[in-house]
Amino acid sequence: MAFKKDTIVGTMIFTVTLCLLCSFMITGTAELLKERKLVKKRDELQRYVLMAADVDMSGDKDFREIFKTSVVPMLVELDTGVVSTEGNVMDFDDRMAAINPETSIKPKKDTARIKSRANQVRVFKILDDKGELASLVVPVYGKGLWSMLYGFVAVKSDMNTIGNLVIYEHGETPGIGDFLNDPEWTDKFRDKQIFDEKGKVAIKVVKGGAKEGDIHGIDAVSGATMTGRGVQRSIQFWFGNEGYQTFLNKLKASEV
Amino acid sequence: MSTHTASTRDILTSPIFANNPVAMQVLGVCSALAVSNSMKTALVMTLAVTFVLVFSNLIISSIRRLIPNSVRIIAQMTVIASLVIIVDMVLQDVAYELSRQLSVFVGLIITNCIIMGRAEAFAMKNPPHLAVVDALGNAMGYGVILLGVAFVRELLGSGNLFGYEVLQTVENGGWYLANEMFKLPPSAFFLIGLMIWSINVIQRKRG
Repeated sequence: MAFKKDTIVGTMIFTVTLCLLCSFMITGTAELLKERKLVKKRDELQRYVLMAADVDMSGDKDFREIFKTSVVPMLVELDTGVVSTEGNVMDFDDRMAAINPETSIKPKKDTARIKSRANQVRVFKILDDKGELASLVVPVYGKGLWSMLYGFVAVKSDMNTIGNLVIYEHGETPGIGDFLNDPEWTDKFRDKQIFDEKGKVAIKVVKGGAKEGDIHGIDAVSGATMTGRGVQRSIQFWFGNEGYQTFLNKLKASEV
Repeated sequence: MSTHTASTRDILTSPIFANNPVAMQVLGVCSALAVSNSMKTALVMTLAVTFVLVFSNLIISSIRRLIPNSVRIIAQMTVIASLVIIVDMVLQDVAYELSRQLSVFVGLIITNCIIMGRAEAFAMKNPPHLAVVDALGNAMGYGVILLGVAFVRELLGSGNLFGYEVLQTVENGGWYLANEMFKLPPSAFFLIGLMIWSINVIQRKRG
């Protein structure tokens, strides 16, 4: 029987076959690129962590080597502060863990507006040349004006002073809210204290400019109130009691 | 047989100048304005369009006898869209930074009228080998305009070519005062306009 293309059945058969073939073409390409994409994702993660930890990457040494020798990635159970380094920590899918209801909870006080928080979060211990803890790099994220802001905060070994802040993904207004990855602004976070004497998170983005000598205040950027507030609240949430507080206290107790 | 080869050659060369898709048919101008501020993005865009155009023409031409008339545009779109997705994925893999600069314009190749136009006007009626030649010709026509505009824009706008300094700008301690207008999309309008004009003049002289 000849294929009658202009009948209804012929049209149906044609469209279904074409769609199937096209989808095979796309999934085939995606499958071929999958492995490379994973490697790239891992590389990117490593680079951002090293950037946050202020590790010098300008030398001849490959950043993957540096990462291997001086960074310990680990998973932290946020509610208990229990740490595990077993399994494939680098390929832990943090975004998936945060939205999967089985591995996440709804925060009681959702100041960062993240809706659901993963039970386990991947953090990075940065070791100095002697193998001692130099700083800790932890991921933070929260909603800005339009989008989720994803970043890393490096905390120095006193678990209070910020080393650096790197925001690597955001979708804020270009030209207004995109100062987030401008070092001129993120450098202001350097050496600020996250907690006050009472152990409460005190870091704050101050409108009109932080006062001289304010160890918790960072200058806000005018015209981008919500973006600045997003960063502030992300840090507040993630270093609060639904974030890393339990883990940090545990770490401090064992280190000191 | 000689007429056949001549026509093949015609199919290849006529879209480059005489029947240029951007200049003569004013198709695909949107992307030509947007990505022609540097040679690098223009070249990558040309390659992406070439790939999509060649394969869409090839695929559509080889199944042209099977495509039901009532769904032919949708069938063409499906093929083109799939190819564009593939190009986008590959580009993100091999040249992530460039693909970010090209942003939505790679995805917008789907709506580039040159590709739809060639599929509907040529590939539907001609055998695959001619369709591929036609695709190459049109891709070259697109590329000539894009690279021509990008050449002028990058050279006059920032004094560079492919990111390498050609004219040392005042900012870098040279003599050339960069013309910022060439960095902005409207300048591409003027340049494409001038190109259309000159191609028309040459055409008319030839008669």
